[in-house]
This record gives sequence, structure tokens and C-alpha cells, in this order.
Amino acid sequence: MNDRTIRILLVEDNPGDARLLGEMLNEPGSVRIELTHLGCMSEAVNHLKESAADVIVLDLGLPDAQGLGAVRQAHAAAPSVPLIVLTGLDDETMAAQALQEGAQDYLIKGQIESHALLRALHYAIERQRMSVETDEVRRLQLQLKDEFLSHVSHELRSPLTAIHQFGTILLDELAGTVSPEQHECLEIILRNVGQLQSMIGDLLEVTRAQAGKLTIDLQCSSVSDAIEYSVKTLQGTARAKGIILSLDLPPLLPLAYGDPTRIRQILIILLDNAIKFTNPDGEVTVRAQLLAEDPNFLLLEVSDSGCGITADMTEQIFERLYQVTGPGQSSRKGLGLGLYICKELVTRQGGRIWVTSSPQKGSIFSFTLPVFSLARLISPLLRDEKWPADSAALVTIEIRSQEGWFSKETRVDWSRDTRGLLERCLLPDLDVLLPKMSSGGPGELFFVVAFADEKGVAVLIKRIREQFQRLKQSEEPSLAFSTSYKLLELVPTDANAPIENLAENLAARIEDLIKSDTIARATQS
Amino acid sequence: MSNKKILIVDDDRDVRLGYHIRLKANHYDTFFAADALSSIAEARKHQPDLIILDLGLPGGDGFVVMDRLKSNVYLAIIPVIVVSARDRHANKDRALQAGAKAFLQKPVDNDELLAVIRQVLGEPETSTQQTVQPRE
Repeated sequence: MNDRTIRILLVEDNPGDARLLGEMLNEPGSVRIELTHLGCMSEAVNHLKESAADVIVLDLGLPDAQGLGAVRQAHAAAPSVPLIVLTGLDDETMAAQALQEGAQDYLIKGQIESHALLRALHYAIERQRMSVETDEVRRLQLQLKDEFLSHVSHELRSPLTAIHQFGTILLDELAGTVSPEQHECLEIILRNVGQLQSMIGDLLEVTRAQAGKLTIDLQCSSVSDAIEYSVKTLQGTARAKGIILSLDLPPLLPLAYGDPTRIRQILIILLDNAIKFTNPDGEVTVRAQLLAEDPNFLLLEVSDSGCGITADMTEQIFERLYQVTGPGQSSRKGLGLGLYICKELVTRQGGRIWVTSSPQKGSIFSFTLPVFSLARLISPLLRDEKWPADSAALVTIEIRSQEGWFSKETRVDWSRDTRGLLERCLLPDLDVLLPKMSSGGPGELFFVVAFADEKGVAVLIKRIREQFQRLKQSEEPSLAFSTSYKLLELVPTDANAPIENLAENLAARIEDLIKSDTIARATQS
Repeated sequence: MSNKKILIVDDDRDVRLGYHIRLKANHYDTFFAADALSSIAEARKHQPDLIILDLGLPGGDGFVVMDRLKSNVYLAIIPVIVVSARDRHANKDRALQAGAKAFLQKPVDNDELLAVIRQVLGEPETSTQQTVQPRE
């Protein structure tokens, strides 16, 4: 193909306008133009499926697509082809919006002249080419950086492994007796190994966050458990520095909809920081309560009596690689990634994180997490009035290992596989797999709310059983699997009652069922 | 009762020695290989009860080793624990699919390693490692 030929797709329903543009483009010049003219969006979309274009000139008042909708459709049909929109004189606001939607340029009808038109076409094509190139370069750079980081952290871990091995060998007196002084020295070495280890972990975590690969496993989570765990983990560090680490929890706290491992991770980073920036004899406290302004959220706070942060830094500290400078800080700075990771993790779980602080008095790091609400989870299903049945079913699926779980990890792996399998069996608008609702017990329990009658449930269960048999045969014959279900009548409320009421009512009944079922199973074993 | 045999496959000499001291203290007999090829040869020679396998190895990585083990009737039954410095998120699932019994991240916690070894070998749980008396 001759690269001096520009293939233009003109989408314009007004024959007069189309002819005028055609004539302008036909004026003799150094560039050959190949013009395809179509009168509506559907034809244009079809055309783009089959033939290539170098640039699309698009009218925003087509019979089957108008305004920004037309821009989006054209852009979706051929994302890599530059787009120039044609607008009327009074429509420059629209034209500006079209640019935000991905158009490269706009031309105002009645003000177009041949040279300007050609120049606009050339610019649009060139700009598009450069932007594709820039994107590609950026993608490659990111990929290189990821590979580099993962390589570096791998290489750092290997010598660290040997240091850790031999440090613990000495500490455990496998190489002879150790005096109390030597014991203390070894503990310091190993504590620092631990720090290096967590820095490497942070590096990898940030790489993942930036590649959008942070895994968050949302489920019903106990914030109290997470707080108790993290306080226990850091109690030793706090005590060693002479800091009082305490927790303040109300007796009853609703469950959060979050990832328990990630909640612990956030708390540990915040507590670790708090201890680091607090002087001996100071205090660090973790609190949790419902958020006063919005009871749909839980508020978690880590407060310290440390050196505090000046007001102008309260935003910056959540940025990547930011480090507090100034007197009074520990000489050990770390990588400046912790709070950035916290922010990523909190945001990804639907919460917010911020700090309030006064220098020399201390800081309070606060973050929110959504309260788990079954009603909110099932109400989208109720919104559509076309239920196939006037009942809903709670299907309970249990997996157990007949030989006992090999390890906690296999149990987690199997749970994840089962979740994936169940997700594949469900109809997206009618069934919903509930997040993990309970832990402990000999088996793993999964709950599906299905909007179906007796027959529909039978079909669903059959599908699940078949899938599971296949998985079990190929991977783990010792896995036992059982299903059961309860039908719940959907109480016909009057048409004016909000869907939320119906959802709340149903959610309450489902929660009761789950509670009694879980208790029954726990006592059985 | 004779000691259980563990084959340690790791290309880092220091790390191999570290495993050896730790495992000997817990009454396991250890054998070593530093690359993919010799790991198969050592496994044939000693018929270990368990293999601790690193992923990054010269002459083919840990996945290649697991493939070769699987294709041999006598070696396929030996349980493998992967202990690697490679990123767990990217490698754990792959290792388990390849037939490993567990994936542990380096630097590995001693208690965790020993617990997994005992579990894989079907040995009873015991408390801390150094207090274990030699078995009669």
C-alpha cells in the first residue's frame, strides 16, 4: 500500500455537507485521499469491522447516534483510529467534551477550508501515532521495572535466607552454647533480618499495586480479630521500646466487608510506624467503632503520643517513597512505602484513610471499612421485577477433607477453587455467592442465594454437583462435598414499599438460617 | 527406627549447609544436589522420603525437576516441598499444580518448615525442635 494515501471514513448523514467535504479533499495535492462516505453509525461500525481507516471524520448528529454517544461508539469500534468530530457553530462545548472522550480534534461546519482540513487530518493521524507509541513505551518501561524489582528482590532474598538460617542456628544453640550477651546480639541481627525481609515484601507489594495486581479477597471479616492479632504481633516490639501498646474495643462491633489478611497488614504497618515514631514511655492505642457520620462504615484508629506531623504533610505522607524528615525521628527510615501500601489497600476495600496530628503531641491515623450488609448485597437482585419465582433459596455447600485438612494452606486453596467453581455455576442476575460468613469448624461452608423455585434450585444444585465431581476426580479424591437448601418465600409487599425493605427482610431471614446452620454443624462434629 | 531421608536441592552452598544443620538437629538424614540434573541422580541413588526443592536452579528450574520426577515411577511418589525466593503470588499456584505439597517463601521460618516436613512425612506433631530426644 502506498503510504501517501490517507484512508478517510466520513460518517455524515447530510448529503450536502458530505459533498462539500468530498470536494475539498479532492483538490489536487501531494496526498492521495481514499474517501469512504457512510450515512449512519451502524454502517460505520460494520465498515470498521472489515476495513481499516487512517482517520474517521464524524458528524455528531447522525440518525442513529448523536453527540458524545456517537463519539463513544466510534471510539469503541476502532479505538486506535484517530477521530475528528464535526460540530455546528453553537456546539463548541460539546466539541470540547468530545475531545475528553477520545476525539483528536474538532472542525466547525461552515468554517472548514481545504488546507485546514488536510492539516487537521495529518495532525490527528500523527498525534494518534505518537500517543500509541508513548503508551507502548510506558508499558514497556513498567514491565521492565516490574521485572527488575522482582529480580532484585529475589536476589536479595537468597543471601538473606542464609543469614536467617545461620542466625537461628546460633540462637537455637545448634552450633554450641551461647552466652546471654551473644544471645542478645543474635536477636538484634535477626530483628534486622526481619526488617529487611519486610522491606523486600513491601517492594514487591508496591510493584503489584502499580500493576493493578494487588489481590483483595472481600469477605465478612472481624475487625476485632484483626486488631487483637496485630496488637499481639507488635506487643514485643512495643515492650522492647518501653511503649504501652493497648487496644480499646467496644463489646459488639459489626463485621466489616473486607479482606482479613489485608486489614491485619494495614494495622501492622500503622502500629509499626506509631511505635517507631513514639519515644520510650509513650503510648500507642488501637480503637474501633462505628463511624459517627455514616453507620455503614467502621472507623479504625491508631493513635500515638509520638512526635506528630505538621499540617502541611498530612497528605504527602501517603505518597509513595515519602519520608518524614526532621529531628526526633528514628534514624531508621525504611523505604517510605508503608503508608502508600495502606492507602492502596484501604481504597481497594472501599474505605478512606487520613491522619490528624499535632506536632509534639502525637498522631491519629484513621481508616474506614464498609460494614458488611447482606441486604445491600442481595438488593440488586431484587431490583429487577422479573423473578422467575416468588421464592428465594439459600443453598449451602460444604466441603470437607475426609482425611483431615493437610494444612491451613490447602484448606484456603480448596476454598478458593470451590468459590471459583461455584461462581461459574451461577446465573449473574439471579444468584449470588455470599462472601465467607463463618470460619472454623471441620468443613468450609459456602452460601448461595438463588432466586428460584424448587425446580430452579434442583437445576442449580445438579450443575454444582457435576462440576464438583469433575474437579474431585481429577484433583482430590479425598474431598467430601455436600449440598442442602432451604426455600424462602418472598413475602409480597405492597408495590410502593421500597425494595430495601424487602431486601432487609430477606437478609434477616437468611442471616438467621446461616447462624443456626453454622451452629448446628459446629455442634455436630 | 532409622532416620527419614531428605534430599535438599538448592544452588546456594550456604543455604544447603543451613538446612543440613537444622535438619540434622531434628534427626533427619540429608543429601544434597545443587542443580536440576544432579537432583534427579541423587533422588535415584538415595530414594529420599522427601525433597526440599528450590525453584531457581542451574540446568533447568524446579518445575523441570518436578516434571522429571513425575515421569519416573520410583521418583514420582516422593513428596516435594518447594522453598523459593521467587515471588509467592506468581509461583505458589504453579508449584502446587506441578505436584508440590507446599510452597514456602524464603527466608523460611524454621518452625513452619519443620511442621510442614512432619506433616508431609506423616509424623506426629512435636513441640520445639531442639527438645526432641533421639527416637529409640
